[in-house]
Amino acid sequence: MKTWLILLLPLILFAKEEVVIKVAEMHCPLCTTAVKKALKSVEGVESSKVTLETKLAVVIAKDGVEDKTFLEAVKTTGYEGVVVSRKHLKE
Amino acid sequence: MQRRAFMKGCLALGASSVILPQVSILEASEPKSKTRIFFVTNSYNLKHENKNGLTKLWVPLPQETSYQKVSDFKFSSNATNAYVTDKNSYKARTLYAEWKNGGEKLLEVTYTITTNERNSDLSKATASTKYPKDVAHYLKPTAHIPTSGKVKELALKITENSKTPLEKAKAIYAWVTENMYRDNAVVGCGLGDAGKAIEQNIMGGKCTDISSVFVALSRSVGVPAREVFGIRLGSSRYSKACGSSDEKGLAKITGGEHCRVEFYLDGAGWVPCDPADVAKVILTEKMTLNDPLVKEVREYFFGNWEMNWMGYNTARDFVLAPTPAQKPLNMFGYPYAEVEDEVLDYYAPAAFAYSFISQEKL
Repeated sequence: MKTWLILLLPLILFAKEEVVIKVAEMHCPLCTTAVKKALKSVEGVESSKVTLETKLAVVIAKDGVEDKTFLEAVKTTGYEGVVVSRKHLKE
Repeated sequence: MQRRAFMKGCLALGASSVILPQVSILEASEPKSKTRIFFVTNSYNLKHENKNGLTKLWVPLPQETSYQKVSDFKFSSNATNAYVTDKNSYKARTLYAEWKNGGEKLLEVTYTITTNERNSDLSKATASTKYPKDVAHYLKPTAHIPTSGKVKELALKITENSKTPLEKAKAIYAWVTENMYRDNAVVGCGLGDAGKAIEQNIMGGKCTDISSVFVALSRSVGVPAREVFGIRLGSSRYSKACGSSDEKGLAKITGGEHCRVEFYLDGAGWVPCDPADVAKVILTEKMTLNDPLVKEVREYFFGNWEMNWMGYNTARDFVLAPTPAQKPLNMFGYPYAEVEDEVLDYYAPAAFAYSFISQEKL
């Protein structure tokens, strides 16, 4: 049992997720940089990419960061976000 | 790091070789001439924490019209590539530059611009609404200029007693200048989100906000209208609120971006209009609509531009060329730059970094 736990530990510690957030109110290119920086400042976030055309933010983060943490970060920029998908990433 | 060699460019922007005779202006603060000549210098030294990231810059250039002519256009830069283009849906003149490697990102653009005061003859306007195709384009909605729903409802109410396009434009101008006010807390020229302004009754704003409401209301009732994005060049005969310079005609115009309006009347063509500067004069001079100066400015800015200002383009909600990472662009009155997919804050010249100077030929 202990051996299994030791083998699984790296997967648990380093597991990552791709979280997609819709920020529908973004209406100018500057908004994208503000949202990107806000999401990148969240602990556990490795990278964030925000696209005005789709109004989507794609975040790569450590497994387990809660939706509300991302959405609170988005809110600091003056916008409301909605998490539209979460996907575990294979190492 | 080895610096790249500077590239230089020098080209005519359209029919740009015409220089009108120099006109003596006795008092820089109260120019009487209808023709003015300005030497403009735009300097860029782009800043971003990602110093090695692919950096792209799009600079708006003045349009060539009957009332403003560009000559002696030159640029110098250490960019990997730089060129002038108007390949976008509004044919907005653009100087594009890109830097593929690290190091400083420098660009200097200089040109002379000769302006002629615009005065419309509104007596030539007809009631016809048969517009040429390129004019009818400015009846269409954009993301920030809706022409239906509450916008149209309001426009119909404002123009209920108006029969001709001129009467409609007059009614809308009266309504906008009576109901909208300048809010200095708004960043830059404002976003110009006419739909949001009307739906949420946000009547405070800056020039793009006020202009966009005029444009959306006009288009909603069949009057072609458009914002013209540009920058103040020198002193105004009316108020420092509309432009200023020192006694030698030098104006530090960084941050002097300004958005005006044109609407189209059959017979009279594109008519200049500036409801936002009426609001700015009211705020800056601490006056009301009833003060003589405001009355004069309000009357003058419906059909006239004194041309201590130059227009860049009429583009809204469009895609720059070459295509940036972020699109569409809301408006193109400021330089626009990206490092990879991050947008530099065009409302923060010192951080961006850019600075503009205008020297009037006195």
